[in-house]
Amino acid sequence: MAINTEIEAVDDIFQEGKVVDGFLLGKEVHRGGMASLFSASKDGIDLPILLKIPRVGRDQPVESLIGFETELTILRSLKSPYVPKYLGSGNMATRPYIAMERVEGRPLEDYIKAGKVFTVDEVVRIGADLAQAVQSLHSQDAIHLDIKPENILIDDKGKLTLIDFGLSHHARYPDLLAEEMRKGIGSAPYISPEQIVGIRSDSRSDIFSIGVIMYELLTRELPFGNPQTMSGLKKRMWAEPFPPRAIRKEIPRWLQEVVLRCIEPRAADRYQSATQLRQVLRDPESVKITQRGERVEPPSFWDSLKKWLKAAGYEPSPSPRPSMGNQDAPLMIAAIDTRQSDEGLRELMQTTAKNLLQAYPESRLVCISTIASTPTYEGKHESETASGIVRGHLVQLMDWAKPLKLPPERISYHVLEALDPASRIVEFAKDNDASLILIGASHKLPNKVTPWRTSMTKIVEEAPCSVHIART
Amino acid sequence: MTERIGLFADLHSNLEAFEACIARAEELGVTRMVFLGDLVGYNADPVAIIDRIAAFVESKKAIAILGNHDEAVFKDCHSQMNASANLAIEWTKSQLNNNHIEFLKNLPLIVQEEKICFAHASAHNPADWNYVTDSMSAWRCAQNSGKSYTFVGHAHEQALFYQSAVGKLIRFAPHPGDEIPVLHHRQWVGVVGSLGQPRDGNPEACFAVFEPESEALTFHRTPYDHFTAAEKVRCAGLPEELANRLITGK
Repeated sequence: MAINTEIEAVDDIFQEGKVVDGFLLGKEVHRGGMASLFSASKDGIDLPILLKIPRVGRDQPVESLIGFETELTILRSLKSPYVPKYLGSGNMATRPYIAMERVEGRPLEDYIKAGKVFTVDEVVRIGADLAQAVQSLHSQDAIHLDIKPENILIDDKGKLTLIDFGLSHHARYPDLLAEEMRKGIGSAPYISPEQIVGIRSDSRSDIFSIGVIMYELLTRELPFGNPQTMSGLKKRMWAEPFPPRAIRKEIPRWLQEVVLRCIEPRAADRYQSATQLRQVLRDPESVKITQRGERVEPPSFWDSLKKWLKAAGYEPSPSPRPSMGNQDAPLMIAAIDTRQSDEGLRELMQTTAKNLLQAYPESRLVCISTIASTPTYEGKHESETASGIVRGHLVQLMDWAKPLKLPPERISYHVLEALDPASRIVEFAKDNDASLILIGASHKLPNKVTPWRTSMTKIVEEAPCSVHIART
Repeated sequence: MTERIGLFADLHSNLEAFEACIARAEELGVTRMVFLGDLVGYNADPVAIIDRIAAFVESKKAIAILGNHDEAVFKDCHSQMNASANLAIEWTKSQLNNNHIEFLKNLPLIVQEEKICFAHASAHNPADWNYVTDSMSAWRCAQNSGKSYTFVGHAHEQALFYQSAVGKLIRFAPHPGDEIPVLHHRQWVGVVGSLGQPRDGNPEACFAVFEPESEALTFHRTPYDHFTAAEKVRCAGLPEELANRLITGK
């Protein structure tokens, strides 16, 4: 193709002191296998600039060009404080370059190579920051797929930046590295088992890589080594890594639990979202310690053999869309009209709630009822006082939810005071980041109940989430 | 001014969808238009659609390509279409005058430009109306077009096929409104989706905009008054199911 003849041209174009599309090239700051990096400046751009130029030509691996194209597509689309800002690019055929913000900081790799000993607290902080940075990609439907110490810059204040999107995947753009490419492209120590079999659409692959990095920072060893063969790579599908606490005693059990859970062979056994990982790293008390956290002995021969046999039929877990990771534990709201007398509707709503909850084992249900307003005077009977009225409604809500047989941590009850029930329900859903509102609609409506009908329309129109209408 | 090409396919005599999409395309700064065939068939406004497109073509603002429903107006294609499609063709013929039919007869099957190829169904034997729906059909289409970019319709669902490292074409389901970089060193086959009779469960009309200079392709969906369009189908005495299709988008 034409590109072979252009390699000299590309080298001629990008030289210190030359100007390309208004970018004045400075020094070449790095020359790697895939790309060269130049510092640059441009009128009107206050940020320090880096120009990335792919190494194209006869002897270059095809990935260097596809990687460049992939990085261009994805970097251009991302908006994140943890990613260098995209500042421009040149024509791919004649003068290929990506201009981006030159971020301060040194690669985490440098610290590791220099033999830095990371304290447990430092590792926890880096892990949590990495999870946050990765979450900002996942929430935009992008997956990095090459998280490794070389690609993590840390500045003086400890702020992280993720670089190099040449192997990344974005659900909204064609994946140029899909299918036919050599399987398992990535960095041997950090790549997830599903990437090894060619799956590029699982956001939990990034969680695996974060786990490997935390393991490495804690123990100065790699959990699965740095294999150079396919069979060596596949070892991580079954091999149980040496427990970090057996290498470094001061590592708390909870942290070993977290690290080992991140590097589980099956994505479904890891933390399901980067947010979840960040939360456990910031709140160790919430970590439930299993045998993973307790382990101090290396796995026995027999255990390894069992796992190896299991891995012979390794089936990667289905990959959810990256931005959906956070929705595995949805919050549902059941808006219950405690005055409603339609038994059929009551039962239907209960069944619907039950079914919805069964679909998501980690979901939670909030039962709400609205009351017009509580009286300001205290009546003679308990049932006429504000607290009495609210309590009366709560009892009815609990009665409603009884047949669902939910454990207390999965259900709660609220009585909301509001003149406009629909707005209050919508507001409540917004405040609590709800995924679904369940409401009921009955044909057995007494004439005076028309307002509820308009309420329903309003909820459907204004809700920040899905609305499920149970209908008799 | 940089070129921005509006791509419209399978318009099927749907005037409401046509006007909504043309208006949207103008807002988006489209500099020229390509109508990728099936201007008529199924719906109620064949005359208005042909008149408008002929005017665009006349003033060099657009080119138009022949589709199988357009061909059926002047050629017997009965055996290749289902009953309601045939009924709609018979009705369409009763509406058109000789000038309209002459316009359709003169439409080309395929247009090759420097970097782009336009056809209704596929660049592979365009007169056979092969659907581009999978890797293989997309590969045949790209092979025969020989261009970096091939734009087609016929299959009513929006799709972008792109060439992988070994040449195979991979299907991608585009997200409306996202600008996709389509660099010219690989081959791309864009199925722009149906303007006049969407079938993916979303009644919004499909079209796409391609910018050759910045090598960017954006698929669009535009809401339009599909109830009026459906009502017109009913009033014209066309099969009820054709009206319902506009409402459900299926």
